[in-house]
Amino acid sequence: SKLPYNPPPRIYHATLKRVLRKASSFQSISFGRFQSSKRIRLQISCAAKPETVQKVSDIVKEQLALSADTALTAESKFSALGADSLDTVEIVMALEEKFDISVEETEAQNITTIQEAADLIEDLVQKKPTAQAS
Amino acid sequence: MVDKAQVISLCRSLLRAGRQYPDYNIREYAKRRTLDGFRMNKNLTDHSKVEEAYAEGKKQLEVVERVVKVYLAYPPKTKNIMELKLQ
Repeated sequence: SKLPYNPPPRIYHATLKRVLRKASSFQSISFGRFQSSKRIRLQISCAAKPETVQKVSDIVKEQLALSADTALTAESKFSALGADSLDTVEIVMALEEKFDISVEETEAQNITTIQEAADLIEDLVQKKPTAQAS
Repeated sequence: MVDKAQVISLCRSLLRAGRQYPDYNIREYAKRRTLDGFRMNKNLTDHSKVEEAYAEGKKQLEVVERVVKVYLAYPPKTKNIMELKLQ
């Protein structure tokens, strides 16, 4: 029976397997001409890289004048570290400058922990190259 | 009635506007002055005073945006020594 489209050759399945294997250490995925089929649903979400979390922690320590050996976890809330809303604004500004990104007003209001900041940064940094490429 | 979110938004706008200055000195001053100004009035409880301070901030935002354009028309020819990275 005739299909309404040309079925993708087998090589696409092999490519998909390779992509899935690399998923744990991925930075970006491009499928090229892969025709999405209803069976394959890919959802990949990863938390921010440790280096990003570390960079965010360093900036937070600097802005809040914390000692270098203060132990900061990714879940540390800015308010718990002694930051008021103005300090948080300063921190977000410093992060924007460090990572060369632009954080929207609504996004900025939702940043309360180091992890949230790192996740947002990674998200924005990832979106940047695609905008420049097009 | 000026609420906290508006105040924070104004602070952010002022900081963003001040960042555009090509001249190191006024750029740093703008950042310093906005933060000092907002911190100084941080604990105001009287609503009329809060509105007054907010209106003042809005006025200053207009000023910064206007003056940035003038500065951008005459950018400095050399980098300020404070901007050079330490070797």
